[in-house]
Amino acid sequence: MARGAVATGAEGSATLKWIAIIGLLLVVAIPCLFIVVQAIFPEFGSGSFAAPFSVFFKTLIDPDLFGLAGNTLLLGVGTMVCAAILAVPLAALRALFRVPGALIWDALLLIPFMIPPYIAALGWIMTLQPRGYLEQLTGIHLAPLLFSVTGIMLIMGLNTFSVVYFVLSRTFETIGARYSDVGRVFGAGQWRSFWRITLPLSMPGLAASLLLVFAMSIEEYGTPAALGRRIGFEVLVTGIENRISEWPIDLPGSATLSLVLVSMALVAFMLQRWLLTRRDYRIVGGKPQAFDKKELGVWTLPVSLLFAFVAFLATGLPILAILATALSRTISGGLKPSNLGLDHFSELLGAGSEGLVALGNSLVLGTTTALLAGLLGAITAYSVVKGRGRFRIVLDALSITPNSLPGVVVAVGIILAWNQPWLPITPYNTPFILLLAYICILLPQPVRYATASLHQLGDNLEASARVCGSGPLKAFVRIVFPLILPSMVTAMILVFAVASRELVASLLVAPVGFQTIAVFIWQQFDQGSAGLGMAMAFCAVLITTLIPLALISLLRWASKGTVAGLR
Amino acid sequence: MISSPSAPAQSHALAIRSVSMSYGAENVLNDISVDLAPGQVLGLLGPSGCGKTTLLRLISGLLLPDAGEIEIAGGKVAVPEAGIALPPEKRGLGMVFQDYALWPHMSVARNVAFPLQMKRVGAAECKERVAKALDRVGLGAMAERRPSDLSGGQQQRVAIARAIVAEPPLVLFDEPLSNLDRELRETMVEEIADLVAELNLSAVYVTHDHSEALTLSDHVAVMRGGRIEQTASPHDLVNHPATSAVADFLRLGCLMPVARVADGWTIEGTGLVLPEGAFEGAQAQVLLPEKALRLGASGPSTLKTTVVRAQTRSTGQALTLRVTGTPHLIRLSSSSPVKAGDMLDLSFSPEDLRWFPISDQPT
Repeated sequence: MARGAVATGAEGSATLKWIAIIGLLLVVAIPCLFIVVQAIFPEFGSGSFAAPFSVFFKTLIDPDLFGLAGNTLLLGVGTMVCAAILAVPLAALRALFRVPGALIWDALLLIPFMIPPYIAALGWIMTLQPRGYLEQLTGIHLAPLLFSVTGIMLIMGLNTFSVVYFVLSRTFETIGARYSDVGRVFGAGQWRSFWRITLPLSMPGLAASLLLVFAMSIEEYGTPAALGRRIGFEVLVTGIENRISEWPIDLPGSATLSLVLVSMALVAFMLQRWLLTRRDYRIVGGKPQAFDKKELGVWTLPVSLLFAFVAFLATGLPILAILATALSRTISGGLKPSNLGLDHFSELLGAGSEGLVALGNSLVLGTTTALLAGLLGAITAYSVVKGRGRFRIVLDALSITPNSLPGVVVAVGIILAWNQPWLPITPYNTPFILLLAYICILLPQPVRYATASLHQLGDNLEASARVCGSGPLKAFVRIVFPLILPSMVTAMILVFAVASRELVASLLVAPVGFQTIAVFIWQQFDQGSAGLGMAMAFCAVLITTLIPLALISLLRWASKGTVAGLR
Repeated sequence: MISSPSAPAQSHALAIRSVSMSYGAENVLNDISVDLAPGQVLGLLGPSGCGKTTLLRLISGLLLPDAGEIEIAGGKVAVPEAGIALPPEKRGLGMVFQDYALWPHMSVARNVAFPLQMKRVGAAECKERVAKALDRVGLGAMAERRPSDLSGGQQQRVAIARAIVAEPPLVLFDEPLSNLDRELRETMVEEIADLVAELNLSAVYVTHDHSEALTLSDHVAVMRGGRIEQTASPHDLVNHPATSAVADFLRLGCLMPVARVADGWTIEGTGLVLPEGAFEGAQAQVLLPEKALRLGASGPSTLKTTVVRAQTRSTGQALTLRVTGTPHLIRLSSSSPVKAGDMLDLSFSPEDLRWFPISDQPT
């Protein structure tokens, strides 16, 4: 039926519609609007609309900008290449052959999702720098490689290639089972059918996941900031951060750079969306079927070693380096039993320590963000799914806009919007400003989960409530929300894990003297207290991984099939 | 216009006047008018896409009409010209959905209690009425189960209990049995018929299955292409189809074109001459009802046919016959064994034929 052209008698709740509109305006539209306004009107901060575009064009033709944009593109493409080189062979081996311990490698390769990139980067610095752990163990250090553009690409590739690996190995398996077997029936050998059928059919999935890697790497702050600054390699994200946090503060410049960065991310996301929504490639989402996998034979050991090596580089090494630093009393003392101890942990977790306060702050902020973003996401998705006409398109667009908003841009927008001197009251300089930033950055997650889950609900579930005499709001509260709650909980856990250790927006908008996990780690590392910072990093990884895992298994156990849809 | 002679003064349970509705440029419903007296069942029968489900959603308030007037139990619920458009929750209906639409996160009892809770019925009374409704559909013992633990037929019974628990003035059934297998469907039709009679329900029953519609309804409206072709009692519908489309959809028999000749009419391709029908024009269509046919050449009129297929059924043989000299097929059941290729004579009385104008081609 042509939804949208017909007047339905069972419209969604108007109350929820207004909550969604106001929520999205406040959280997403206002920061975006202020970036655009500031980029056009440089004097806007002092209440003047004078000299429009004067700085905009000046910044656009600034050779600095070309350098930053070029470096950003270089980094994005390089990271894509590194991720592809790491992921494609592993995914193909995993999908087509019987790899020993395949499930264990899968589990290990999930860990990079749980380590924030800036923490991994710090771990790499501790390992490869002169007198780092590698030199202590083997006598050589790889500082020239680490502190180079290639090094940054390699590290970011290691942090992001799992995205490609998981999409691709699943795609290879599905396509292998469905189409490549058909090719073999018609006489193509396994390799021929891989090259002729499986690989070409997987191209859209590969390209889409690589574009995601591209977007992730151009939006990343921690890694280029930690590694690139030492060699003067600046990208847009660090350039924006510089202009807004260091004297002289250049608001119009940072706004213009933000627009350039957002355009890049937007192009990547639109390309990705286009690739994934084209017809005929929906097989990517299919279930892997029973599939005749080949034995590796003499290659069993080399392939296992390859998996072990990559998994160690991506997960083992950064975590071990973090743990070693956290356990070393002094960095200069090196890896000696006499130098090891739990001193940093007891300092971090001791009564009244700054670290404990930061930890508490992050947990409270993470939880609040998860609840609010989950609720706003559910209401927004409902309003979009039930809505009609232009309002629905605007709401939909606003809710996915933050996908292409890097954290640093959200921070710039929030500073520009809420630091205006004429505002009678403002959340600026209170912890609420962090809440606004986190919700904006993470809103697309719950919206995505809720939309998928709403599409799975039969239309008649809500319609029957309406016929039974329930108004639209009550039908949402009693029927729709409880039914999508299980997948909302999953989304909120994800939001919690990311929000509780978000770095760049926290650095930029946190009130003076207010510390979060990420801010604490960053500052300790900057001030030379790497041990304390790494102890915090280790706790953060542990807490933000274990709490969600425990919650998910608790939910699974408690619901035991009584709640539809919770897998 | 249908009205029950027993309650002429009472207002209609449902009155639909000149209702039209379109999706964009496509006219889904065209000037529909139909009334239903209290305590009666209206069957909406038609092939898929004829607009019957749309009409039901207009009655429920899940859709709004473009024009016309809908009245439930004497109160206007949708009159676009006057700006009246009551949402579904304000219409006080019961409805049974094709996919049951039971809420998976609530127990059977809580599903059934929902309409009462929406009416703010007290907890004690609510419990009692839920138990009564569940007992009525034979599920008293299942109250605390989850809908997902029940079989399809049981789920449909829960949906029926939910629709009748609040004793609504009108219950809507949207192809409620189409997801069940044939055997269960036949039992459920009888159960629903009993329930409707016992509770003296006013109901609208949408289906594409003639036997369901004929069994359950006091009046059947046959729909086609967004229009009502005929509204009549099941008996009248079968014996006096108003159009060839109705006859075709109900599979009442074989439709054949006839042409006027000097001494009456002839079925084209056969030498059979029919006496003058009460019909103008040079061409017409006749319906040869299945129940008017007898095997053998005893007359008064006789058709020669060839057996195309003979399939064994539990009740005898289902025969497909081709009228010799024409492409027309006749379906007939017979108890005497025949095989494909046999020639059979069929007899009928010309007064049993139904005559329709030729322009009225069934689609």
